[in-house]
Amino acid sequence: MRDLADHLFDILENSVAAGATEVIVMLGLSNKRFSYKIKDNGRGIESGDVTDPFVTSRKERKVGLGLPLLKKTAENTNGFLRISRLEGKGTLLEFETDISHIDAKPFGDLAKVFTDALRSWPDVDFEVLIEREKSKNEQVLNTKEIRETMGCSDIQHKEIQDFVYQSIDKGLKRIGINTQFGNF
Amino acid sequence: MKNLEELKRIRDRVKKNLQMRSGKHKVRIVVCMATCGIAAGARQTMNTLADLIEKSNRDDVVITTSGCAGFCEQEPMIQIYTEDKEPVVYGKVDSKAAEEIFEKHILNGQIVERYLFSKGK
Repeated sequence: MRDLADHLFDILENSVAAGATEVIVMLGLSNKRFSYKIKDNGRGIESGDVTDPFVTSRKERKVGLGLPLLKKTAENTNGFLRISRLEGKGTLLEFETDISHIDAKPFGDLAKVFTDALRSWPDVDFEVLIEREKSKNEQVLNTKEIRETMGCSDIQHKEIQDFVYQSIDKGLKRIGINTQFGNF
Repeated sequence: MKNLEELKRIRDRVKKNLQMRSGKHKVRIVVCMATCGIAAGARQTMNTLADLIEKSNRDDVVITTSGCAGFCEQEPMIQIYTEDKEPVVYGKVDSKAAEEIFEKHILNGQIVERYLFSKGK
């Protein structure tokens, strides 16, 4: 994985592969620590330590590297990765990394992750929130709202993709994610 | 999302455009997007292809994604399904390869041998 955006997209794919129809992502940056929480309503983790590369649900081969790589990225930078089963249905994933650490990965284009997600999985609903310290969390994407307003399912239209990108990118810039490694 | 007004403006603008589309796709490009693909740069490949489709004004070409095809060493991989033709799979498709494949295969129907992984089912 080249950057944190690649990781994020990969982890969202896990939610979709687990049959999630709704994915909520909260992104935050405070005290040089970048974090995200992903909550989905997928079928949840069946068994085993999913950060072990030899535990996987895929059938093509016996290794799964998405979560082990993310865990490594977190732990290399004094961060953490926590995955928990939600009561009832779904999974909560929490990731944190210190972006001032010498081994930190660049952010990459985080807003693009979500336009890529809409392009890849047009039927899944995404909600993206930006964590704000002194005010209410800011919602920068709500696909349900877009679907209602547009009155059509064409969420992949270029203009809507641009709109979504701008909305998320502005939100990220407001919390200081405007360079590859953040501002110190 | 406070820009609901802007969204409504976009809706009015694109509505006509959407009605004009036939909804029938002649070519479907599938980009493999599992961990292996993403690590090899599949997101870039997908975005390059999306831009090329946009620029070419071909509204009968669509991109979707899939999981791991089981040949991780060949990533990024793309599959091209053309109406009435056998599916074609290309391997190691970076942005540059994507441009060449789009130009030759999608626009002109020629198979690009040097990125070819397999033909047929």
